[in-house]
Amino acid sequence: MKKDEIKRKSAANNTWLSKARKYQRILKVLVRLRFQNLMVFRLDFLGPFFVDGSLFIIQLLIFKAIYANVDSIGSWGSGAMILYIGTFSLLNAASMTICFFGILGIPYKIRSGEMDLYLSKPVSPLFRLTFECINPGSLLLVVFSIFIIVYGAKASNCRITVHAVASYLFWLVLMAFLYYIMEVLIRSVSFYLISTTRIEQLEEALLSLCFKLPGIAMYGIYKVIFYCILPYGIMATLPVQSMLGELTWKTALQGIFVVAVFAVITALVWKKGIRHYNSAGS
Amino acid sequence: MENIAKLENVTKIYKRYKKKEGLKGSIEGLFKREYEEKAAVLNMNLSIKEGEFIGLIGPNGAGKTTLIKMLTGIIAPTKGMIDVLGYRPNDMKNAYKKQYAVVMGQKSQLFFDLTVNDTLRLFKEIYEIQEEEFQMSKKYFSRLFGVEELMDVQVRTLSLGERMKCELIVALLHNPRILFLDEPTIGLDAIASKQIRKFLKEVNEERGTTILLTSHYMEDIKALCGRSIVINHGQLIFDGKTKELFEKYQDNKLITATFGYTVNNSILPDKAKLLLDEGYKKCLMVQKHQAKAVLEQIMGLEPEDIMIEEEEIGAVVERIYQEGAALHE
Repeated sequence: MKKDEIKRKSAANNTWLSKARKYQRILKVLVRLRFQNLMVFRLDFLGPFFVDGSLFIIQLLIFKAIYANVDSIGSWGSGAMILYIGTFSLLNAASMTICFFGILGIPYKIRSGEMDLYLSKPVSPLFRLTFECINPGSLLLVVFSIFIIVYGAKASNCRITVHAVASYLFWLVLMAFLYYIMEVLIRSVSFYLISTTRIEQLEEALLSLCFKLPGIAMYGIYKVIFYCILPYGIMATLPVQSMLGELTWKTALQGIFVVAVFAVITALVWKKGIRHYNSAGS
Repeated sequence: MENIAKLENVTKIYKRYKKKEGLKGSIEGLFKREYEEKAAVLNMNLSIKEGEFIGLIGPNGAGKTTLIKMLTGIIAPTKGMIDVLGYRPNDMKNAYKKQYAVVMGQKSQLFFDLTVNDTLRLFKEIYEIQEEEFQMSKKYFSRLFGVEELMDVQVRTLSLGERMKCELIVALLHNPRILFLDEPTIGLDAIASKQIRKFLKEVNEERGTTILLTSHYMEDIKALCGRSIVINHGQLIFDGKTKELFEKYQDNKLITATFGYTVNNSILPDKAKLLLDEGYKKCLMVQKHQAKAVLEQIMGLEPEDIMIEEEEIGAVVERIYQEGAALHE
């Protein structure tokens, strides 16, 4: 009886492992193909490094102009705010590098019926869409963001311990996941509605607002909205709070709960969306 | 032969927004919308045997593409049961997806800025094909389709015909049991269409791949498909041997006779309809069952040359679709 159970578990592990290996190989090919594709057009390959770098500097200048005459926001001084900006920027840059441009194409693929080609292949359509348009041009932003984080951590005079860094990284990964599922959730609405332009504009506006204003500056109904309903307010706030040692258990649990709830909602909307998909005429 | 696909009372209904004319209609639509239901496929019953080459015929909007999309699981039927190779296609099981391939004439799966070989690499991993098998299949199909020289060329530089051959290689690489082809020869010239027909025939005969082909070109159907399914307004009009389809609907024969003198039309057989009159050359359309009698009469006029042809395919198609429309009404 025990032997059978072990065999079954081992078979399940093997299936899981072979599946993981398959996806790893597909990811490798997708990344390679994307690099090859971008390198066909030299300007397309080199241009983003310059464009994304310039946009980043503009964002920093805006931030500097806003906070030039403000000493603190809530309990945070300028060092903590720099850490916050670096963290938000890193989340944004990581998304732009890895998945943003693939996810961005979902509404068009649904409207045009191109989704047919993804649904008829034995690989997760979301996996393929997520990784098929990586953008190496945004890697420069990732590097810039890391510099800002290091500078902000020093300027905020927080105690940099192994525990603080590990906790910060944990929250960073979790919030990167939240950022990703929010991107997918918003684009999945296209399965049900033909045009989602306004929802995407709302997402852009919220991201822009939350880039400038951390969650700790929000109170009352705004806090409920930006922490629970449109959780852009917690994305960079929680990692920074964890680094500064300000994260309470209650906020941490709330954060994990929000991520779990949105993960379930996104999975349901996506899965039901695929069933709801009617394709486009030939 | 074993049944590999079965459809029972399959219906697919689309809902579409009916907008009233003008700005007033648009404003009304903001508050109250009227929808109409359109049955793309209606109570379809069908079965497909392994190794068959089936032609799916019908005018635009008949439901051909919807049927293929339901068979591949891309869309779900509104009601009814579909079973292909023991799977419910809309369950979207990867094990099922590995056993079929679909080629849509108007949608490309090739990377336009890269080469065919680059695209094939991705599909090798998606279908988990072993390197040795991959190389063998690639070699076999590139040779069969005569595109060995094009495998390392940027896809965007290929002609439409060359591109379609490459699309077929991508689809066939994992040796699917069923191949769904939606208008694969659309927009192709006569030579390219003929080549593709030849290759498809070989794939069906050599590899035993079951092929379901939709096409507006009756030449494709006549040359390739042993069985034809005609649908119109989502309903099945005919399901049987292609030969029987043409026998049923190809009612007339064309007789072209060339004489050594100018023939007065009054002496021509009155059972025939005169289509072309050049004095010494006459083209007549005659019903199949009267062809023998008419021919005997013409032979009596001592023609120098005579040609008997099947009625042109376009007229046959029109007749089939007209019957479908009458059935719908």
